[in-house]
Amino acid sequence: MRSYFALMRGSYMIGLVYRFGFLFSIAGNIIYMSVTYFLWHSIYQGKATIHGLTFDQTYTYVALGSAVFILLKTYVDWQMSFDIREGMIAAYLIKPIDLQLYELFTSFGSFLMSLSAITIPTVLLLIIVFRIQIPLGLGLILFPFSLILAYLLGFCFDYFTGLLGFYTESIWGLSITKDIIVMVLSGALIPLQFFPTVIQKILLWLPFQAIYYTPLTMAAQPMLSWETFLSMLAVQIFWVITLFTLTRLFYNQAVKVLRISGG
Amino acid sequence: MHSLTDYLHLYFTIEKQYIKARMQYRADFIISSIGMFFSSLATLGIFWVIFNSIPDLAGWTFTQLIFIYGFYMIAISPMQILFDNIWQIRFHVQQGTFLKYYFRPLNMMFYYMSETFDLKGLTQLAGGIVLLIYASHQLNIVWSPLQIVLLLLTLFSASLVQISITILAGCAAFWVLDAYPILGLAWKLREYAPYPMNIFDGAFRFTFTYIIPLGFVAFYPSQLFLQPQTVSKLIYVSPIVGIGLFALTYWVWTLGVNSYTGTGS
Amino acid sequence: MSLIHVEHLSKHFKVLNRREGLSGAFRDLFSGNYRTVKAVEDISFDIEAGEIVGYIGPNGAGKSTTIKMMTGILKPTDGTLQVNGLVPYNNRIHQAQIMGVVFGQRSQLWWDLPVIESFKILKEIYKVDQATFDKHMNLFNELVGLKSLYSQQVRTLSLGQRMLCDITASFLHNPQIVFLDEPTIGLDISIKAKIRSVIKELNQIHNTTIILTTHDLGDVEALCRRIIIIDKGKILYDGDIKKVNALFGAYRTLKLQIDNFSESTLTDLRTDLAKHFDVDHGIVVAQTEEFWTDVTIDQAHTPLSDVLNFVMSGFPVSDVRIVEISMENVVQRVYDGALG
Repeated sequence: MRSYFALMRGSYMIGLVYRFGFLFSIAGNIIYMSVTYFLWHSIYQGKATIHGLTFDQTYTYVALGSAVFILLKTYVDWQMSFDIREGMIAAYLIKPIDLQLYELFTSFGSFLMSLSAITIPTVLLLIIVFRIQIPLGLGLILFPFSLILAYLLGFCFDYFTGLLGFYTESIWGLSITKDIIVMVLSGALIPLQFFPTVIQKILLWLPFQAIYYTPLTMAAQPMLSWETFLSMLAVQIFWVITLFTLTRLFYNQAVKVLRISGG
Repeated sequence: MHSLTDYLHLYFTIEKQYIKARMQYRADFIISSIGMFFSSLATLGIFWVIFNSIPDLAGWTFTQLIFIYGFYMIAISPMQILFDNIWQIRFHVQQGTFLKYYFRPLNMMFYYMSETFDLKGLTQLAGGIVLLIYASHQLNIVWSPLQIVLLLLTLFSASLVQISITILAGCAAFWVLDAYPILGLAWKLREYAPYPMNIFDGAFRFTFTYIIPLGFVAFYPSQLFLQPQTVSKLIYVSPIVGIGLFALTYWVWTLGVNSYTGTGS
Repeated sequence: MSLIHVEHLSKHFKVLNRREGLSGAFRDLFSGNYRTVKAVEDISFDIEAGEIVGYIGPNGAGKSTTIKMMTGILKPTDGTLQVNGLVPYNNRIHQAQIMGVVFGQRSQLWWDLPVIESFKILKEIYKVDQATFDKHMNLFNELVGLKSLYSQQVRTLSLGQRMLCDITASFLHNPQIVFLDEPTIGLDISIKAKIRSVIKELNQIHNTTIILTTHDLGDVEALCRRIIIIDKGKILYDGDIKKVNALFGAYRTLKLQIDNFSESTLTDLRTDLAKHFDVDHGIVVAQTEEFWTDVTIDQAHTPLSDVLNFVMSGFPVSDVRIVEISMENVVQRVYDGALG
């Protein structure tokens, strides 16, 4: 177990080195927050609520969405594709480690790094610059836990994409498609309430909403009932367990391809 | 040394071979094209959802936004297809492999950019054309020969704006060690090009018009076709902005190329 | 007027003295503290058409800087540099027409394309007419069997094949000067020999001037009649190779791994060799890295095989390596006045 924590610490340290990249991530985030502020301000012209959400609630949701997006970005799919190309995966297959756990702990270090470097400034910006009022409710307390669960879910999708990469060299296309599917279907860019009702109902049944819609709703609408939050968390946990299991099973299939093609 | 026709013919020769070689990777082409296609439509998807709840955005209908979006997709395609090699520049500069581009009797930007031809960008181009045709049909825009010439001119200029912004950001690699994030940020900015400029207030509108002229990639030029009567003088600058910006970009590129001395002794 | 005329040529670089730490980096942005690096300092030489010149020296000597100036990439700080009557820096594209460049480490051909397509593209870039193109392609086929490689992608070629393609490609447009940088690096002995003979042939057929920069003294021995040795930006020697051959041509270093090595082994080895061989004429024993003992021999006086047999019969040798004398060693000897 100790070795897994070493992996985490290692990636945390590497994150510190790429200060320049982080700076630009934050700059990009600020620009996104500003542009969407104007966009939503325009949308809410002369309206107090749309689909039951006030401007403050919707904007909090959207603005935090971009911070969370950076937070949940694992690059696991890219890392795995890179490792295959370098022939390193063969080494993993021989060593007595679990590939999924290995990738998870490596990426978790940078997650912790991003958490402090990005989310906190974003929230501060929201409150100080954009003067958004976020009431202190239960949702805010549950938000970090929900984020961790969301992270695990997002990881599953990235890991799955990485496994798909065993079959084809086209990791860019796979990764982009995965990103888009997740972003669009999870309500990362817009609260699900805005979607047409039929589509909304479908989306709520899919695992994607548990990645963005759930935690973002907790942060944007912290005053909802504790039963609502509880069921949201339960759904998240359900999907985490399901997807972890499914991807582990898929690993057993995918690894056969590696063994055949020689890694 | 080489005339423009020489360069065109040479480009055709090189890319014909390049495409032949890339087509071996069928799966990669298909998957990448699908990925590109969806990602380029993501912002439009957002607009579609938004317009589900409101009749218009800052005075613009959804159909008008589709027009702007189609224009945008076409305008960013030349950058995607022809200049994709800019993403490798940091690698070449740091590894010293950039030196190879100095040794042929060719313009260096031409030689460097001719090394890649991004086929999947064609899906973006096709998508943009479809959207533009659909929207102009819905909006009953009349396409007289003069309008078409104007369209091609503004598309040309708009594509130059996008190309310039991206290459300028890429040129940072000549002077800065970890220049990739700069390019990444410039690339992210392009997503905001289809947004109607009048949702922004003073400072931002100023920035996106005069400093990083994203407005000229799609929004301002589209006005010439969407609201020709109420168009401000600013719009007529559209064709010149692209050319001027590209001249600046080429100048910075030349500076970078001259200052680069390579690694090793 | 010589083909390449260099007179009092200098190139100085202003290098930032980077300060330590984050605050140092910040201060550097505003008040840079520069020092001048004299990469090339007051060098002069003339090269005529048809010469094969070895331009050698240790790393950091100024070789690449000179080549970059000759190819028009770098602007000289001082002095005169003319290639074919023109100043390279102001005429990069024009000069590129009469030059060829080959890097040992990286190919200049199109990686994903079949070999023949690279040649066809070069034909168009350099505006080679069909007759010349055909003639040259036939020549290349005679020399290296190029036709058999036509349909293979460059990236699938072996290193040796790729080098041969790069070298022949650099002659396609009949350049007046070809710069070869480490053309045989990483290749085995038989391919090295093949490449050297191809270079020689091409030089003779077209009277192409060849400037060879390499660390492989075998290349230099095989190809060059004239050597220019450069170190720390200055020319140490410019002349016939025969003189320098005496410096390094015959020297070999025998690297031995001796079991049960101790202090006394080294002394014993020295005394034994001194007794048996004429040590005054060039046998030097030294201990270099941890378990290797170097015995440097001047083969002109003592056959290596004799020394090797002697040592192996008297000492428990577990591993042997034979290496040529290093470039650094050659330069050191020149400094020490070996050339008088």
